Amino acid sequence: MVLLVILIGRKWFCNFATVSYSLLCLVCSGLIYLLPQVPAAGMIGQLFQFDGLNAYFFFVMSLVFAASSVYNIGYISASERPQQEYNYYSIGIIGFVFSMIGALLSTNMGLSWVFIEATTLTSAYLIYFSRSKHALEAVWKFVFICSIGISLAFVGIVLLLIGAGSHNSLVYKDLYSNALKIDPFWLKISFVFYLVGIGTKMGLAPVHSWLPDAHSEAPSPISAMLSAAMLNTAFFMILKMFTLMGLANLGFYAKILMLTMGLLSLFVSAVFILIIKDYKRMLAYSSIENMGIMAIGTSLGNVGIFAALLHLFGHSIIKTSLFLTAGNVQKIFKTKAINKVSGILKADRLTGWLLIFSFIGIAALPPSPLFLSEWILLKAILAKKMYILMPIIFVLLTIVLFGMGNIIIKMAYGQKPTTFKEEKVPIGILMYLPQIILILSAFIAGIYLPQFLQNMIGAAIAALRS
Amino acid sequence: MIDTLAVIYGLVMIYVSATNRIKTHIKILSMQGILLFFICYFALGTGSFYTFVFLAFETLLVKAIAIPGVLNRVLRGKNIYLSNDLRIPSIYSLIITSGIVFASFIASNIQSVSLDPTSKLILSVSLASIVISLFFITTRKSVVTSVIDYVMMENAIFLLSLTLSKEMPIIVSMGVLLDVFIAVFILGFLINKVSETFGQEHGNALRMLKDSDDD
Repeated sequence: MVLLVILIGRKWFCNFATVSYSLLCLVCSGLIYLLPQVPAAGMIGQLFQFDGLNAYFFFVMSLVFAASSVYNIGYISASERPQQEYNYYSIGIIGFVFSMIGALLSTNMGLSWVFIEATTLTSAYLIYFSRSKHALEAVWKFVFICSIGISLAFVGIVLLLIGAGSHNSLVYKDLYSNALKIDPFWLKISFVFYLVGIGTKMGLAPVHSWLPDAHSEAPSPISAMLSAAMLNTAFFMILKMFTLMGLANLGFYAKILMLTMGLLSLFVSAVFILIIKDYKRMLAYSSIENMGIMAIGTSLGNVGIFAALLHLFGHSIIKTSLFLTAGNVQKIFKTKAINKVSGILKADRLTGWLLIFSFIGIAALPPSPLFLSEWILLKAILAKKMYILMPIIFVLLTIVLFGMGNIIIKMAYGQKPTTFKEEKVPIGILMYLPQIILILSAFIAGIYLPQFLQNMIGAAIAALRS
Repeated sequence: MIDTLAVIYGLVMIYVSATNRIKTHIKILSMQGILLFFICYFALGTGSFYTFVFLAFETLLVKAIAIPGVLNRVLRGKNIYLSNDLRIPSIYSLIITSGIVFASFIASNIQSVSLDPTSKLILSVSLASIVISLFFITTRKSVVTSVIDYVMMENAIFLLSLTLSKEMPIIVSMGVLLDVFIAVFILGFLINKVSETFGQEHGNALRMLKDSDDD
């Protein structure tokens, strides 16, 4: 596909390549559940395998990729850039998604590490696509901070092997079966390095500082994929390591660390969302908040993990819709500054309503599936008798809701700015359709959680335990 | 012999905290590359010849020559001699790095692990070096010094992976892959781009993206 993009080198083919790749991923993600399981064969089959957990993550990633690639057709077509840059952009997207798929399907922790490192390389060009000074600063921070994170994760892997002694295999199945034989002291230190390292890619506080810059400076479809796919891939890797800690009877230690980082992420989002001046940065902090919620859910175990996985689905599709809609807003108003955007409903009614409904979704108001997941999360907290935690989370979520609501309502309603120029903005149907489908899907799932989705989450949890 | 080289490596890291000349830091990177070469030579003496050649290429060519060469090229003509962007005075930096080395030695000796004494020493020195490099990265603002500190961290991680080199050669290859990524991408492209775009004041200019207008 990459070779064809280079050889043919036309805008229409670049769009065709990314959309067809996304549809292929979507079809495959569905077929995994429909077709009978076939035992893995050959070297590729030994290195990459589907199970309930990575199939679920792959499915969510495919949805996000499909929506972003369709939106991208209209978004990129409107920009006047040399053909070669479009080629590299498309190659970057294909490489980025391929790296994420590799990280999800790898049966070996070391191989997953290589692929997650590749996501940094492939997405760097995409973030820097606008070639501005701000984009350069954002990509510098992204590459530098994520590289430090990846290096720390590597240190974690080496320390894990030191603790494993003669059982030195990085294959997940071998690690799980030898969990009790790993030296607990080195396993604990290894988990700290690994969690901080991969947590950097996931956007957990306090190692989140690259996220607002990268998400705000990247083109909107790329921001959507960073927020709704790459962060999930990092979460997947942390989940695998978390499972190892549980099997090694160090689950309590791992839970405390996950809970701490989750609460810190919520706190950071609540603080910064009140002083934010850029609406894309606001969405980035919302991603940090939601990653924090998923980390907290994971720390609660069992029901908490169900809530975290449901939250992952809801957050991914709603955040994608939000970022894509933000792309429309940026096209109309030519700015990301909140104080220069108002009256979106008057400027573009459909974009305005998409923004409002997407906000309802991300704010976890019914009928958003995030309402369900956060409800289950709070019930899990009560079941564990962690009574102090509940008001803290409740207050932080309320602050985030207030901060975002204040901004979105101000932007959507009111009069258009006096500096606003009425001009025809090239926003085609493809820059509305993905958001409409995603929001409708989210709200349907929020009202009636489909049986197939429950089964997928159930299979994911069962795969975690096996 | 490996013990002596590992101790020298640790002392070099403490020396870095006492000096703030950027050129000295780059020379130390070359020195670390050469130290790593000799550690590989003595540690893998009975190992595969091809693995040794590969590691020698990585340590001598990439770490001792190529990476410091690129950094010198970036600095050329910019009249940057001192790292004037320290958040903590050198004396406190020296005390903290010494404390980190001490803690690392305690941590790696307090637990019984199936490693020979030489590997335990390498483990102590490498863990200390990693934490010290992270400390430097967080206490300095300039892009060039951050990259130098990051490369030092990479060297320490490479040293750490040598503790497992006989049992798990693939882990060393992964470490090498990380180095190549850093050398090609961060040094080869980004730092040049940042220097061209932001000029000499890039340390302070890379703070344009903010959440509020107040700082």
